[in-house]
Amino acid sequence: MNQLYAILWKDHSRAHLLWAFLGTLAGFVLLLSGIQFYTDIRSVLSENRDLLDPEYIVLNKQVNIGQTLGLHGAGFTPEEIEEIRQQPFAEQVSSFISNEFPIRGYTDNDRIPDFYTELFFEAIPDQYIDIKSEDWKWDPEEKTIPIIIPQDFLNLYNFGFAQSQGLPQVPKGVLSMVNFRIRLTGRSGKYDDYPGRIVGFSNRIHSILVPYEFLSWANETYGYFEKTDPSRIILVSKDPTDPSIIRFIDDKGYDTIREKLKSSRMNIILKFIISFLVVVASLIIGLAFLVFLLSLQLMISRSSQKIVRLNKLGFHFREISRPYILLLLILLVAVTGLSLLVTGIITTQLSRAAGEWNLAISSSLHGIIYGTALVLITLIFVFNVLAVLVSTKKLCK
Amino acid sequence: MTIRLEKMIPLPLLEQQRNGSGIWEADAVLFEKGKSYLIEAPSGKGKTSLLSIIYGIRKDYRGAVFLNDRNILELTGKAWSEIRKAKLSFIFQGLELFDELTAYDNIHLKNSITREKSSTEIRTMAERIGIAEFLSKPAGILSFGQQQRVAIIRALCQPFEFLLADECFSHMDAGNSHIALDLIREECNKRGAGIILTSLNAMKEAAMEERMEL
Repeated sequence: MNQLYAILWKDHSRAHLLWAFLGTLAGFVLLLSGIQFYTDIRSVLSENRDLLDPEYIVLNKQVNIGQTLGLHGAGFTPEEIEEIRQQPFAEQVSSFISNEFPIRGYTDNDRIPDFYTELFFEAIPDQYIDIKSEDWKWDPEEKTIPIIIPQDFLNLYNFGFAQSQGLPQVPKGVLSMVNFRIRLTGRSGKYDDYPGRIVGFSNRIHSILVPYEFLSWANETYGYFEKTDPSRIILVSKDPTDPSIIRFIDDKGYDTIREKLKSSRMNIILKFIISFLVVVASLIIGLAFLVFLLSLQLMISRSSQKIVRLNKLGFHFREISRPYILLLLILLVAVTGLSLLVTGIITTQLSRAAGEWNLAISSSLHGIIYGTALVLITLIFVFNVLAVLVSTKKLCK
Repeated sequence: MTIRLEKMIPLPLLEQQRNGSGIWEADAVLFEKGKSYLIEAPSGKGKTSLLSIIYGIRKDYRGAVFLNDRNILELTGKAWSEIRKAKLSFIFQGLELFDELTAYDNIHLKNSITREKSSTEIRTMAERIGIAEFLSKPAGILSFGQQQRVAIIRALCQPFEFLLADECFSHMDAGNSHIALDLIREECNKRGAGIILTSLNAMKEAAMEERMEL
């Protein structure tokens, strides 16, 4: 059958096939690396998600001039809270309560400098708090108020204030031993003093926290401020990488500590880049597919006289199609092999580079890569074979 | 195998002046396996048309053609390629050689799908009709007479029940024609096949059983 191949392969439109070959190769490499990369990043993100506890996100409204002028409140209305509760990413939602009476704190000890300040307290149910301590409870008998302050406060004092003022730095343990006096003042000006003690430093919640039971009780006992909507909401999300969290927060004009939602935002950007890549790659593959189709049709139509002659000699159109199909098969197998090879090299390089940033990216191709390549090549092959068969059949009698 | 024509006439000939006798006027014409037929006619009388229609590569005719009592219009592409590989062999007037292939490759192209002859047999035939030295040359550079002989050998590289030879000696001298005709007859006898040979002029030296006119 060598003569048959010699006759039908000898054609100048092979140059077109080369372009189709290169185009398909480029498209495949783009698409496959895109999928490979996306699979990796997704697994990295979801690994992080498994490692982390569910994310605690503290929401507040962005402060604007209207609130400053007292035109409208900075609090969340019950409807707004309900809406947040309805979001699919919101596992649990709770609002902060705050003191409804004046609070003052001062030191009552000879060994440390005198200290006096107005204070605020906030409280949320215990399950949202990242400090687990024996002392974190309100005992009406004992009357000591346990307090949690943000870790950042202590840092601010130790590394900023204390150093610049020549004051001694205070370790956590020492601060926990200091007794404060807390003065709660009721409507009539009548006040009570309670001992207070710092029992923990929170990284999660930037507020001065006291036990929920205590603040509820104290609000009942001393409270006389007008009730306001809670200004801060805490929500727990199982999947902090979920892009809909950041979209919701942005849409509503709420505010939070953005750092915590980095992976959510990263996911959005990543999805965008990958979809762009996939669209471009599909476009290239689509075009390359067309060039393949047209090149083969051109080869066939340029050889139409030869094909008619072969048919006269007794060749069936299937036999005549064989050289074209074989050529197609060789090219497509080469495209698959080469694109897997190139994608493999890119992957290895990328994983080496990522390794330097302590990012675990797989250095071998995922199964889905082979699957995708196989499915696409099969599709291209089948369509082209059909087209070849149809056009050679047309020429044969 | 039999070839039967029923009131068959190529469409381009309908307009032509005809002499009132011959194949185009007959109600039925029968070609039988094992017999040899010589069809003599001047140019333009439809010799090539007749053979092309029997071979299934032209369909512009009126009437009907039967191969073994089967109307050829019912035959599929697959059936035709089977017939052209095993039942009918055609020496085309236009030769239908591939210029870029050598003479040998042209012959081998056909032989590769039929496996009829060994390469030694091909060489022996080529020697006999005097083209052995041209076998390795591209067919395109051979003279028409040499090319005709290549086409003859190619046509013999398959089993067949009828050989359709369309003016296959037109560019050969009397001596070469004779040698080639002998080879053709020998090969047909081996297969018990019939021959339909067309010619411009009466080939007196060719002892054919039946002489026909168009």
